[in-house]
Amino acid sequence: MIIELKGRIDSNNAEQVENGIRQQLGGEKPDELVLDMEQLEYISSAGLRVILRLKKEYRNIRMINANSEIYEILEMTGFTEMMTVEKAYRVVSVEGCEEIGRGANGTIYRIDQDNVVKVYNDADALEDIQHEREVAKLALILDIPTAISYDVVKVGDKYGSVFELLNASAFSKILATEPEKLDWCVGEYVKMLKKIHGTKVPAGKLPDIKDTVLSWAGFMQAYLPKEAGEKLLELVEAVPRDDHMIHGDYHTKNIMLAGDDVLIIDMDTLAVGNPVFELASMYNAFLGYSEYDPSLIMSFQGFDHDTALEFWKKSLSAYLETKCETKIREVEDKARIVGYTRMIRRSIRRKGLETEKGRAEIELWKSELLELLEKTDTLTFSLNELDIEASPENLPEVQAFVEERLAGVDCPEKTLMQIGLAVEEIFVNIASYAYAPEKGKAVVRVEVNGDPLSVSITFVDHGIPYDPLAKDDPDVTLSAEERGIGGLGIFMTKKIMDDIAYEYIGGKNILTLKKNL
Amino acid sequence: MKINKTLNGSTLDIALEGRLDTTTAPELEEVLKDSLEGVTELNLDFEKLEYISSAGLRVLLSAQKLMSKQGSMKITHVADVIMEIFEVTGFNEILTIE
Repeated sequence: MIIELKGRIDSNNAEQVENGIRQQLGGEKPDELVLDMEQLEYISSAGLRVILRLKKEYRNIRMINANSEIYEILEMTGFTEMMTVEKAYRVVSVEGCEEIGRGANGTIYRIDQDNVVKVYNDADALEDIQHEREVAKLALILDIPTAISYDVVKVGDKYGSVFELLNASAFSKILATEPEKLDWCVGEYVKMLKKIHGTKVPAGKLPDIKDTVLSWAGFMQAYLPKEAGEKLLELVEAVPRDDHMIHGDYHTKNIMLAGDDVLIIDMDTLAVGNPVFELASMYNAFLGYSEYDPSLIMSFQGFDHDTALEFWKKSLSAYLETKCETKIREVEDKARIVGYTRMIRRSIRRKGLETEKGRAEIELWKSELLELLEKTDTLTFSLNELDIEASPENLPEVQAFVEERLAGVDCPEKTLMQIGLAVEEIFVNIASYAYAPEKGKAVVRVEVNGDPLSVSITFVDHGIPYDPLAKDDPDVTLSAEERGIGGLGIFMTKKIMDDIAYEYIGGKNILTLKKNL
Repeated sequence: MKINKTLNGSTLDIALEGRLDTTTAPELEEVLKDSLEGVTELNLDFEKLEYISSAGLRVLLSAQKLMSKQGSMKITHVADVIMEIFEVTGFNEILTIE
């Protein structure tokens, strides 16, 4: 039931206005009483008392189209807290305007040289818009560069947010039209991502994405074999809570180059959580959704599968600060577990099981998910740790990984060589004896400690219990004929490292080498 | 790793370039196995050798043991970092280094 309030309501006509309203209502008791203030110029306290009296009888009152003066009065007097008050929104048209971006919940048009408008798909989007503006404000306060929305407008029967965004191009467009800029885009993309992930958010300000992912995993129980479903839940449960920011929809349509500035937009999925949850949605954006049908990426982001693959691989490599293929694949696999979970659930909820293509997609994602669940112990990852099969062929990769970890450290050439040597001796030992004749994995962790500056390298394997320190050193005074070949590697390591310690805990051999720099 | 060998009568000169480690030591082992028959003097030039691990030391030890029976072996132009490894392991006494 909509009642229009026009002109002025003050002590002279308040009673008349009230009678007029009651006449219009005629004894009806609608669920919501809407007062349209489009033509209301002034309201005094007498008028406000009329509204208060109406509020007593009609629990839900919504005032719409209030101009800025009226809105100010209503805000000052606390009326905006007592009932819903909507401002009058400027009307904007996007006819003939260039579409410069499109997200899940809205489309972005350039309305003039300086401004763009994001038009929300859902006509009921006011609450979402307000939420997104709040979140964008929070991001700005936390020093995340994002576009500032300074106005909410009406576009047809939908709502839009206006941003000042000069000369903005989405990264997806740059990748599509200027492929030579791909490496530059990767650099900026990862730089922004690390900034976001490095930002601590005060408690309670943003939702925790772990809860969302847990609900996805819960949903999947009905669609996975019992053991796999349980393992999925366990894996997600085990991811520690994290109060660092994640974007939630970090694909190249949401990163804008505006003049010289790189901005992240589309803030309504902002949350806190472990970075693996972010990498999952990134995997989906570049590869996951188009895994069954590679042509999908073109309609989604505007570039082809090869570009998407190259961009994803390079970005993941830059984010992990490694060129080590095993490391990149390890983290990608963890991201995929969460990624497939999300995509399968989303597809099923959109009736994916009722179409042939949908079923084929779900089958593909499900089989990948099951394979990954089988071989994954944890969803968390660390930049300093390499989990790799202990075999001599992997030695170059292990040594390269260790060198990468030490790249930013002030370490003389000779020390680097000595560290590399120790890494070889220990790793080859594990490769040769820990699991023989079977194969097994080893974890190599590199930690740089300041004050005093030193490097610790830890090797963990779950092969036969073996304490290398328990062995006697070879007798280095023997002649060539008498000299044996055993124990040389460990001995060399002991001599060139400053400290070496061994523990056997939880079925694992843990050997830690330390070198002072 | 590059292995450059030159045979002059019963003298075999081998120059190594790069790294003598777990990955490359088997190559050297193969070369020595195929080339040492009838050799009385084995000269190893380490000028371009940057790195040696225990795998490399083991190959040198076998070569030394063999050459001690059929002639002599010496290593020349050993870099400081390699020399240190020889000293720590006592290989500087076992091998003839010039």
